[in-house]
Amino acid sequence: MASDISTEHRIVEVAGRKTQVTIGGDGPPLLYLHSAGGETEWTLPHEKLAESHRVYVPACPGFALSEGLDEIEDMQDLVWHYVDLLDVLELERVPVVGFSLGGWLALELSVLRPERIERMALTAAAGLYLSEAPMGEIFIDDLDELRELVYYDPQDVTVKLSMPTSLEDSRILNWIRAREATARIGWNPYLHNPRLKGHLHRIACPTLLIWGRHDRLIPLAHGEYYAEKIAGARLEVLEECGHMVPFEKADAWAGLVREFVTAS
Amino acid sequence: MQFFCFHLMPWDRIDESTLDAHKTVWTWLPNSHYDAVHGHELYNRYLDELVLAEELGFDGVCVNEHHQSAYGTMPSPNLMGSILARQTQRVKIAVIGNALPLYNPPTRVAEEFAMIDVISGGRLIAGMVVGGGPEYYSFSANPTFARSMYNEALDLILRAWTEPGPFEHYGRHWKLKYVNPWPLPLQKPHPPIWIPGAGSVETVKLVAERGFSYMGIPYFHVDVLQKNFDMFRDACAKAGNPATPERIGLLLPIYVADSDEQAWQEYERHLFYFAEKLLKGLAVFPPGYTSARSIARINQALKKFLMEVKSRDEVEEGFYAVVGSPATVRDRLVELRGRLGFGNLLGLFQLGTLPADLTEKNMRTFAAEVMPPLRKTFATKADAAAPAAPA
Repeated sequence: MASDISTEHRIVEVAGRKTQVTIGGDGPPLLYLHSAGGETEWTLPHEKLAESHRVYVPACPGFALSEGLDEIEDMQDLVWHYVDLLDVLELERVPVVGFSLGGWLALELSVLRPERIERMALTAAAGLYLSEAPMGEIFIDDLDELRELVYYDPQDVTVKLSMPTSLEDSRILNWIRAREATARIGWNPYLHNPRLKGHLHRIACPTLLIWGRHDRLIPLAHGEYYAEKIAGARLEVLEECGHMVPFEKADAWAGLVREFVTAS
Repeated sequence: MQFFCFHLMPWDRIDESTLDAHKTVWTWLPNSHYDAVHGHELYNRYLDELVLAEELGFDGVCVNEHHQSAYGTMPSPNLMGSILARQTQRVKIAVIGNALPLYNPPTRVAEEFAMIDVISGGRLIAGMVVGGGPEYYSFSANPTFARSMYNEALDLILRAWTEPGPFEHYGRHWKLKYVNPWPLPLQKPHPPIWIPGAGSVETVKLVAERGFSYMGIPYFHVDVLQKNFDMFRDACAKAGNPATPERIGLLLPIYVADSDEQAWQEYERHLFYFAEKLLKGLAVFPPGYTSARSIARINQALKKFLMEVKSRDEVEEGFYAVVGSPATVRDRLVELRGRLGFGNLLGLFQLGTLPADLTEKNMRTFAAEVMPPLRKTFATKADAAAPAAPA
């Protein structure tokens, strides 16, 4: 997208796996963990955060040009991949921004390597099972239905930035691969780790939770649960907003995140 | 040529409004629409139809596995196979197949198939399938492991049948310290293996290289099938295993009546009920179920799929089903045989709502007037051993 911010694509080796990392902006480092939608190319949310930070956007194995999905069997394997990646990127201690799948990943990372995470801003994070607030079905083929699931307004102008709109879309092959990589870790148990609940009391870093009031994929109740169980966590709810918060409410979202990560 | 009678054992009564209210008859169609009292009649009727196939001179009967679906109400084809093992004396019993990744551990398949083979006196044809896309939703089974689980299970089952146990299996998906199934199959080294495919390159290569038999998944335009079978023959040639007609099977809806007009008049609404309603939701490819390249290939082929077909002319042009008088059906099958080179014809004589009387009439007419001349034209060694159809 057109901007003054210069970005670069890097392919780094992480324990033998080729991993794509997109980097942009100047300032203190910030690690952005993408969602199942695979916003791994430079786009709106990264652009907003790069106004104040140097933003690192790695692509999970199986997403974009990142390889090595065959060695990832579950979230545990993915978290260790990111532990190695932090070393490769020489990010000793870094604020983390995680969206959806990336929010779940950030939570797992903060349990496994608390010393590496300065603070974390989680948006519509997966990772939980709540019987009273079931998640929507993301593994459907119908792109129109999917858009209705994740957007408050399916006609939102940012839709075309965040997902393909038809099977003829040039991004469709990457999309199919992204869905495969998501299914690998999130098919069953569905987008969560049944053991994560038991670890939440161990999270000590400052945590901000941002949710759309009308998230149909991962209902607000999940945000409320995290806010209650993670010590000192704060929950911000955006009105007239679905699951795609960083796109739907890019300015408000980026404002909250920036204020939070610069507070240290 | 060998003739098989294939049964899907479909649910035959869902009203239009229910069908219109749901995007699919798979996985999510509420089972409040299932009626066990009617199910009792249906299962017994369908089994009778397969038993009749033996009486009419068919070489074999086929059953298959689907879950949570009105398209086929046969989650356990092995139960049907074992009943048929006792209720028939001569026909091959082709179970095509067991969806290997859904059996845990897959030695269960080695055991149950061996039971059917032993009970039936060595009449089992063992079908090994990955399972349809919808099955991965119905079982919450991770589709990104479908291929690797399938490959591991297939190797394990064959090893369990051919290598003396107990032995240890240490694989990616299963770790079994003591593999030692009792019983073992009666046929040695093991029952014939049939593997169906919809044109995925991975499947074609596997079947060709291992010397198994390839069954074309139906409901595609004949051009698509021809491409798939040609790809299979090429792969066999490359592997040095000739693709004899016995290694190729075609599953095909068939309806015969006294005249073309009568056949279409009796069959048309049942065929289109099947095409428009029961196929809804069959062609689903969950993430990772097959390679992105195969998904692209199959997505193209799906433009030429029975579900998209709206008229009799289109059905005839694409050979989606073969319908007509005995002479018409004979001629069209000869033409199909010429294009596709199959040695096993798996006829689907009942589908969807087709009632018992028309199904029986269809089978009897086919067996009396279509099967004998085709047997003569395309005689194989196996045909010499098969009994002539009763007059």
